[in-house]
Amino acid sequence: MNKRRVDLTVNNRAVSMMVEPRLSLADALRGELGLTGTHLGCEHGVCGACTIIVDSDPVRGCLMLAVQAEGAEIVTIEGATPVVGLSEIQAALREFHGLQCGFCTPGMVMVLHHLFSNNPVPSDSEIREALSGQLCRCTGYQGIVNAAKAVAARHMHQNVQPRETSQDHRE
Amino acid sequence: MAIGEPIVRVEDERFLRGEGRFIADYALPRMVEAHILRSPYAHATIRSIGLDQALALPGVHAVLTCDDLPEGLPPIHCRIPTHGDLSPYLQYPLALGKVRYVGEPVAVIVADTRAIAEDAAELVELDFDPLPAVTDPAAALAADAEQVHEAGNLAGRWGFDLGDVSGALEAATFMVSDRFSIQRHTAMPMETRGLLAYYDVGRGLLDIYGPTKVVHTNRNLLATMLRMGEAEIRMIEPDVGGSFGARGEFYPEDFLIPFAAIKLRRPVRWIEDRVEHFAAINHSRDCVFDVTVAADADGIITAFDVKLVTDMGGYIRTHGDVVPSHAGASFPGPYRVRNYRLDAMTVMTNKTPTGTYRAPGMFEANFARERAIDRLAQKMGMERAELRRKNLILPEQMPWHVGTESVKRPTIFDSGNFPLIFDRATDAFGWSLPYQREVDGWKRGRGMCALVEPSGLGPFEGVRIEVDQHGRVQIFSGSSNQGQGHETVLAQIASEVLTVPMEKVRVRHGDTGIITFGGGTYASRTAIIGGNAVYSASISVRTKALDAASRRFGIPVEELDLREGAIWHGLNNEPVAKIGDIARMLMPGNQEILQTPSAGNIPDNDGLVVTSYVRAVSAGAAVFAVHLADVLVDPATGETRVERYMVACDVGRQINPMIVEGQIVGGVAQGLGGTFLEELTYNEEGQLTTGTFTDYLMPNIYDMPPVTSLVFEESPATTNALGVKGVGEVGPSGVAAAVGNAIADALGTSVGLNTLPLTPQRVIEAIGFEVGA
Repeated sequence: MNKRRVDLTVNNRAVSMMVEPRLSLADALRGELGLTGTHLGCEHGVCGACTIIVDSDPVRGCLMLAVQAEGAEIVTIEGATPVVGLSEIQAALREFHGLQCGFCTPGMVMVLHHLFSNNPVPSDSEIREALSGQLCRCTGYQGIVNAAKAVAARHMHQNVQPRETSQDHRE
Repeated sequence: MAIGEPIVRVEDERFLRGEGRFIADYALPRMVEAHILRSPYAHATIRSIGLDQALALPGVHAVLTCDDLPEGLPPIHCRIPTHGDLSPYLQYPLALGKVRYVGEPVAVIVADTRAIAEDAAELVELDFDPLPAVTDPAAALAADAEQVHEAGNLAGRWGFDLGDVSGALEAATFMVSDRFSIQRHTAMPMETRGLLAYYDVGRGLLDIYGPTKVVHTNRNLLATMLRMGEAEIRMIEPDVGGSFGARGEFYPEDFLIPFAAIKLRRPVRWIEDRVEHFAAINHSRDCVFDVTVAADADGIITAFDVKLVTDMGGYIRTHGDVVPSHAGASFPGPYRVRNYRLDAMTVMTNKTPTGTYRAPGMFEANFARERAIDRLAQKMGMERAELRRKNLILPEQMPWHVGTESVKRPTIFDSGNFPLIFDRATDAFGWSLPYQREVDGWKRGRGMCALVEPSGLGPFEGVRIEVDQHGRVQIFSGSSNQGQGHETVLAQIASEVLTVPMEKVRVRHGDTGIITFGGGTYASRTAIIGGNAVYSASISVRTKALDAASRRFGIPVEELDLREGAIWHGLNNEPVAKIGDIARMLMPGNQEILQTPSAGNIPDNDGLVVTSYVRAVSAGAAVFAVHLADVLVDPATGETRVERYMVACDVGRQINPMIVEGQIVGGVAQGLGGTFLEELTYNEEGQLTTGTFTDYLMPNIYDMPPVTSLVFEESPATTNALGVKGVGEVGPSGVAAAVGNAIADALGTSVGLNTLPLTPQRVIEAIGFEVGA
C-alpha cells in the first residue's frame, strides 16, 4: 500500500513518518515512533487506554488515522512524564493505589494531565466527568478518584493557577 | 517491619511513566506477525479451506491449517481433575473436520505485518456446511438435539447426597424453591492476549514471551505437544494487563504461535484484538440453579437441595469442570447445614468454551443461596440477618468439613469466627438502624450476603532467594503477576525476615527459566503459597547467614542476631558482618572459609542462596465475608443506583493493607458489572451478539458507588505459617446476592430478581409480578 508522509510534533519534537493511510495514530506512535506507553485496549474507541492529547484535547489514538495528524501537536504519556520520577498526578495515583495492572494507566494519566492543566482545582464532578470515558477493570476507580481529589486539594491549598496551554515536562 | 504496612507498590512507577512492557511492546529482529482465522459458524462441517489467493498476497509467509498439524498431536490437556472423563470434549489447536463455536481457530496466517495477515484472512476460501447450532443447555439435553460432540451433549453428571435431605424436606416447617440464573460473562482484562515465540534453530531452544498465570504448567503441556524437552522451552511473562482467571490458561494460540515460529524459523508475534478476544477467551458463569432450602420452626436451616446445570460451551478446556465443581462443593456457604444434595450437569453447546473468572462458581452459588435465604426469611417472617446469624458455623466447630470435594480435594474451612465478624459487619454498616424507604419517588432497599471464599488452592509454590555481595536480595518466584501487586507483597515478606529495606529487594516471576518448578497465580494463592515460600526461604537464608558467620568468626550461633541487614553479636556497637559480606564468603571458590578442597563439589559454598518449595494444604484458607448494600430503585423505570457498599472480611493477616483494600474495591466493581451490565448473549445461529465494548458494558466511573472495606485479622489461617488468607476473590463473590436482595427489599417483592444481570427490565418485571400476585 502506498505510504504517505506525515509531519507532526510529538512531545515537543518535530517528527515525520511515512505511513499507510489506514494506519491508526496510536499504531503509528507505537510502531513508527516506539512510544509504546500508549496502549490499545479495544481499538474501537471505548476503553480510553490509548488516550493522547492532540492539539490540547484528549483524543482516542485508535480512532484517528496517522495521516489525519498532519501538523498536529501531540502529547503522549512519555511527554507527560518527567525525565526522572513521577509527575504530581502520577505520584498521587501511586499514593492512593489508583492502579493495579497498569494497562489503562497511561490513558488515565493523560486525561488527568489534561484536566489539571486546564483546571488546577477541579470539583469532584469535574474529576468524574474527566475520567468517565476511561475503563479500568482492576481498581473500581476509587483510588483514581481519590488521587485526583488529593491533587485538587493540594492545588487549592497552594493556589495553583491554570496554565496557558497544556504543557509537557520535557520542553 | 514490612509485613502489615501499606507500602506503595514497587510496580507502580514503570506503569505510571508508560514504561511497563506488555506483550505488544515486545519485538525481535526478523519478526513476522500472525493472525488467527476463526470460524464464522457456530457449528459446521469443514469441506475445504482454499488458500491459494491468500498465499499469493505479497507479504504472506504461510497459512497453516489442520493439515499442517503434527501427526498424532494430542488435544489440549485438561490440567485439573474432573468429575468423570471429559477427554472426548477436549479441543485441538485447529478445528479438525468440524467447528463447534464462532471464533474457533481454523487457520494461522503469518505475514510481514498484522494488517497484511488480516488482509490475507479475507482471501481464504472457507467451504463449510453449516449445521444447526445448539445454544441452550435445556435444548441440548432434549432427545432429538443436534449433537455437539459424538460423546453426547451431557458431558458430566455428578453430585453429593449428604445427610438426609429427603427426610429434612419432609420434616420442614418452611421451604422455598426457586430457580436462579447467572448469565454468561467473563473476565475481560483491559489488555488482550498476545504471544511472541522465537525458536533458536541452532540451539534447539524455544523462547515464548506472553504466557502468564501458570507458566510452568503451560510449558510442560507445550513440551508434550511439541515433543520437546521441558527446559528446552522457556516461557516468560511480560507485564500483564489483568487476568482475573481467564487469561494465562493454555489456549489454542499457545500451541499455534510457537508451532508457527518453529515451522517458519522466524520469531512470530500474535496480538489478539478485542473483538477476537470476545470470541476466543474463556467465557464463564452461565449456569442455572434450582434451589430448595428448608428450615424448621425455629429458623434452623435443615437442608439445601440443589440442581445445577452449567453451559460449558463447545469444548472442555484446561479448567475442566472446576467452575461448577467449586459452586457445588461450597454451595452451603457459611452455614452449618449437614443435609445437602447436589445434582450437577455439565452440558456442551455451540458457544465459546468456558473456564474460570474471579470467584469461579462462588459468585454464582452465593447469588442462588443468598437470594433463596432472603426468600426463606420473608416466608418465615424472620429478620434476614437474624436467620443467617442463627445458622452460621460456630468457631468451636472449626475446622469445618463441608463433606464435599472439588478437584479431588475436600472442602474444609480451616478457621474463623463467623458470628463475631458477622456482628461487626452489621454493626459497622448500621444494618439494624431504620432507613427511609422512599427518597424522591425512588425506593430504598438493603441487602446482604454472607459467604465463605476458599483461597490458596493448588499443590505447591517455589522460590529461590539470592543475596549478593552488596547485600541486595533477589527473589525468583515460581508464581506470576497480572497486576495484583505480587512484586510488592513478596518483597515485603523477604524484607521483613531478612531485615533489609524494600529498595534492596527485587522480584522476578512468571519465567520458567528462573526456577525449575512453579505453581502460578490462581485461586487467590500467591500471598498464601508464594508468600509462604518466600517466608520459608527467607528464614533459611537467615539461618544460613548466621551459621556461616558463627563458623567464620567462632561465635556460638545463638549469640548472633540478624538485624538491619547485618549480623550482630550481643550488644556490640558494630556488626560482625553485613549480610553482603556473608554472601561474599559463601561464594563458590572463596578461600576464606573453604575447607581443604575436595575432589568433588563444594556443598557449603553455594552462595547465600536458598531454594524453597512449599506444599499447600489442600483445602487452603477460608475467608469469611459479609457483603452489605443499600440500593435505590426507581419503580417507574427499573433504574437502580447502589448508594453504598461494604465488604467486611477476615483475612487472617494482611501483608499490605493498601493492596488488600484495592483487591476488595476492584473486585466489587467486577461484581457490579456481573450484577447489572455484562452479558455475553448469542442468537439462535450461535453468533455472539455482544462482541464489542459498545454492546458488552463494563462498569465505568459513574457505575461505582462508594465502597468500604472492613478488614479483620481475627482468625489467622491455620494452614500456613504466615496465617494469611487470600483476598483476591472476596470482592466480587457476594455482589449479585447482596444487591439482588437489596432490590427485592426495596420493592418488597417475593418473586423475580432471580436472573442476572438485573437489568431495568427485570427489575420492572419483579414489580409486575408483585402487582399481579
